[in-house]
Amino acid sequence: MVEAVSWACRCLKLLLALVVLPSTACAHVLDEYLQATLVEIEPSDIRLQINLTPGVDVAQKVLAQIDRDGDGVISSTEATAYAQSLKRDLIARLDGREIELKLTASNYPEPAELRTGSGIIQIEFSIVPGALAAGPHRLTVENRHFPTLGVYLFNAAQPRSGSVQITQQKRNLNQSEGEIAFTYSPMAQTSRAVAIGALVAVIAVIAIAAVWTSKRSSARAATSVPPATPPLPTR
Amino acid sequence: MIKRILPASALLLLALWCGLNALAQRSPTPGSQVAGNATGDVVSAAKKFMATLDDAQRGKLVYDFKDDAQRRRWSNLPTFPRGGLRFGDLTAPQREAALGVVAAALSAQGYEKTMQIVEADEVLKQTGGGRGGPGGRGPDQRGGPGGPPDARGPGGPGGPGGRRGGPGGRGGGAMFGRDNYYISFVGQPSATDPWMIQFGGHHLGLNITLTGGQRTLAPSHTGAQPAVYQIEGKTIRPLGREVDKGFALINALDEGQRKQAILGVQMRDLVLGPGRDGQAIAPEGIKGSALTEAQRQMLLDLASEWTGILNDAAANAKMEEMKKNVGKTWFAWAGPTEKGSAAYFRIQGPTVFIEYAPQQMGGDATKHIHTIYRDPTNDYGAKWWKP
Repeated sequence: MVEAVSWACRCLKLLLALVVLPSTACAHVLDEYLQATLVEIEPSDIRLQINLTPGVDVAQKVLAQIDRDGDGVISSTEATAYAQSLKRDLIARLDGREIELKLTASNYPEPAELRTGSGIIQIEFSIVPGALAAGPHRLTVENRHFPTLGVYLFNAAQPRSGSVQITQQKRNLNQSEGEIAFTYSPMAQTSRAVAIGALVAVIAVIAIAAVWTSKRSSARAATSVPPATPPLPTR
Repeated sequence: MIKRILPASALLLLALWCGLNALAQRSPTPGSQVAGNATGDVVSAAKKFMATLDDAQRGKLVYDFKDDAQRRRWSNLPTFPRGGLRFGDLTAPQREAALGVVAAALSAQGYEKTMQIVEADEVLKQTGGGRGGPGGRGPDQRGGPGGPPDARGPGGPGGPGGRRGGPGGRGGGAMFGRDNYYISFVGQPSATDPWMIQFGGHHLGLNITLTGGQRTLAPSHTGAQPAVYQIEGKTIRPLGREVDKGFALINALDEGQRKQAILGVQMRDLVLGPGRDGQAIAPEGIKGSALTEAQRQMLLDLASEWTGILNDAAANAKMEEMKKNVGKTWFAWAGPTEKGSAAYFRIQGPTVFIEYAPQQMGGDATKHIHTIYRDPTNDYGAKWWKP
């Protein structure tokens, strides 16, 4: 097998004037703007983590929207402004009600890296749903950012909390719109702790009962002992 | 007497329960225990390679095992600031020794796949396919720095190097080809302590963590562009078995099963590709418990195309672990089901996450593939060494 592999490698080396199938090959996304959204749903908050990767052919166009003064540096003001523009292009609804997104984090690569088509902009928004009622819920997100260039991915993250269960995910064909159905069961969150507590309680009750039984038996034994034989009367 | 025994027993039970839990966290995954002296062989190959290097090169090759930034520094991209030693900067004997390390860690089939991925990138370079991107603005003037050495044979003859630019002045392949693959170690090679081999470049990011007799490939990326090429009339498909087995499985499902498995969306890329460490998505598709025994076997066989990249002992052990969880493993599909078309699929179970994603960018998506392999419970072998 090893010889076969070596032979294959040698062939590959020697035959680089090879016949390749017709190729319009490209290394990576060129004229598209990949926008991948991962939705984390937890009882206390909901987060949209969005990774944005402009292809090399559109990177300059996207960069122009970020580096507004064109000085080749993405300032914090420009970074925030771009994140806010993305926010305006997102429509999020929880149970049919439009909800406010709050910018919580962003990370921008250097403009030079963005121009290569390999730079990834990471932006995170948070939704504070308030007191999430127990039962089924439905979160929908619509992404209208750079619709003519955009290609999209939309996915629910596996919830870390056992009290949230993803029941269904729906998306339109290009995933610019997604819907996540989930249930919130506050009881489930504590069920493990309750189970452990119950186990400890049962062990404690058994132990106490056994001690109590043991004590009672000892007491009974003590009372059932015949009284000491009175001393014989002396004559 | 009972008074003392009962509380003590309760405490003992509690301690036993805690101890077993801790042991379960720490004990080797059945699927990863490598039999025999396989780790020793990899260590020997690594030391042999290091012996070919000078001090400066050794300094560039080896990172501290605690260096999480380097551990996570891998990508599918050709232009990415990888660490370690670049193959184009090594001599032929050094490259031969470096590939010897990779070969020692992998199965023969896994090594062959790896080399075919590297050679696909060389093809991409030679055909000026890598249009766009940095350095891709004109013809590559460099001469060939030499072909890749055989892992177990003498160094190969010099390759032709970059000879042509891409069409319209946009080609060139400075960033492509076998010279642009990197090797690094995170941690010192050891038969007992944890360390990691990283071997990567465009469409390849192998991260092999070894801890004594345990070994994992998670997380790793494989890909190919072109995914099909010919040499002397022989067709090479680095990821051909993956796609063939994927289509065989989707077409083995009945109509009701397919309805569950097919997501009905366009999947344009990997969801949990490079850079998505530590994330997990909600499973979708059809669950293994809804498959027949034959279909489950096909699912495992499909997954073996990734798990089997590692040496046989590690691969077999991982497969045993997957068999135990096959009922809880999901299979999802997006795209047409006709063989030969561009379709995405995903395998997701308690200890495995695999994606196969054709790239629909500027050409035939079946010719440009990205895949990812992860273990949600043990990426980078963390459960063996993380406190």
